[in-house]
Amino acid sequence: MNTIKPKISKPRFTDDTVGLVLRAKSLWHSYNQKNFVLEGVDLDLKEGMSMMVLGRSGSGKTTLIKILAGLIRPSRGQVEYFFDRDATPSSRVVAYIPQNLGLVRNLSAIENVLMGVLGRTPTVATMFGRFRAVDHEQAARLMADLGIGDKIDKKIWHLSGGERQRVAIARALIQNPRLILADEFVSQLDPVTSMEILAMVKKLTQNKIAFLATTHDVLLAKEYADFVVVMRNGKLIMPAAFKDMIIEEIMKDGYE
Amino acid sequence: MSKRFPTGAGIVIIVAILSVASFINLGLLDVSRWGLAFRNLAIFSRELSPPRWDILPVLLPAIWETIQISFAGTILGFLLSLPLAFLGTHTLFNQLITTVARGLVGAIRTVPSILFGIIFVIAVGLGPKAGVLGVALYTVGYLAKIYYEAFEAVDGEVIEAVRSTGCNRLQLFRFAILPETFNTLISQLLFMFEYNIRASTIMGFVGAGGIGYYLVGYVQMLQYQHLMMAIILIFVVIMAIDLVSFRIRARISAPRY
Repeated sequence: MNTIKPKISKPRFTDDTVGLVLRAKSLWHSYNQKNFVLEGVDLDLKEGMSMMVLGRSGSGKTTLIKILAGLIRPSRGQVEYFFDRDATPSSRVVAYIPQNLGLVRNLSAIENVLMGVLGRTPTVATMFGRFRAVDHEQAARLMADLGIGDKIDKKIWHLSGGERQRVAIARALIQNPRLILADEFVSQLDPVTSMEILAMVKKLTQNKIAFLATTHDVLLAKEYADFVVVMRNGKLIMPAAFKDMIIEEIMKDGYE
Repeated sequence: MSKRFPTGAGIVIIVAILSVASFINLGLLDVSRWGLAFRNLAIFSRELSPPRWDILPVLLPAIWETIQISFAGTILGFLLSLPLAFLGTHTLFNQLITTVARGLVGAIRTVPSILFGIIFVIAVGLGPKAGVLGVALYTVGYLAKIYYEAFEAVDGEVIEAVRSTGCNRLQLFRFAILPETFNTLISQLLFMFEYNIRASTIMGFVGAGGIGYYLVGYVQMLQYQHLMMAIILIFVVIMAIDLVSFRIRARISAPRY
């Protein structure tokens, strides 16, 4: 497969890595060997922490998240993941939600959610569309928790934008991840629905699953993230800091 | 650098020169022959009518056989083209495997359907069995190419999202590529069946079953009124199948969001 395997270096558990799920060290990336999309990005993500990366279009947010998800190999630098210790076979450590969600429109909502367990289901069974009963239950439960319990057998194109977003979240959560990466999370939804969904995600992930999303919505980031960082021209111009401390600075800094 | 000659005009001039040259070489501009051709055509078309309706009992089973050859051949070719298209998809396999699969498909496509007919008549003897195999291989050459191109056109984000769940490529194919391309696959399959009615007719020319056998026989025995009847029958059948297939394809490929 032409997939680019993330370069996962053997994590070195030292004192300063306690509680870390991910550490990105001076990531540089270029698609054409000339212009750098990322210019030395450093990022630490702690267990159960939610972080939002703010930035305009073209600031390098998507590239960053794809590198963290292991879909692109950075030109320089590396990403370390620190969850070897008690990762169970039934958990995918990183779940990824792309910008346009990447749902398969011709399949039902629950089939899309169940894709999250493909990696831990025997291939032959999945070829006939069969999944374990426990996984079925977990999928149905997650969908109910997310408020789409009555949409289980609906095809994706019968669902609204908000419902699709919830299906994508359920597909991420069923992987029992330690970290969820979401690109331009809820950015295509109306403010009320986005708030609702973010509150829901916050409740479901709180203190258990680290959550990193990119967005261009300052207020959303302020409201729901523990940490906010700003990305500009391939650099994280504000290191991870408490949102209360920096939100005025973001405004003052003339973001957008 | 000097001023560039306009590319569009250049292409038109080259095509014009090549056309005239080939017309002259092939005798198309030889006016004396044209008179003869029209005279012969007039005689031929006079002899075509009236069509011999009384031979319908002979032709109907023959065209039914042609339809079956087309159907069986298309299905068989479809089953063979799926794995080849799977192996030929760059999103799933590396350059080496896709090149081999695509090379095979390309090689199959270079062989004209009638040659497949001859090959299988030699291999399995005269009759519809050879026709089915010939149509099947012919189908593989086209369907496999159309299919791997459809597979590769699947939205990259869907592929990434499903792949990020840690699935293998069979699962990726089953859960992302196949459902996303399903409508295209079916609609192209119907089109191929439609098209294969013609290919199956040709199969009869070399004794691989169906109505083509009669077609060639009538030409050789100068029975033009019989020939006319066969052509009318083929025309009606092709129009009917085209119409039904078009209706179904229009329903399948209606955009849904």
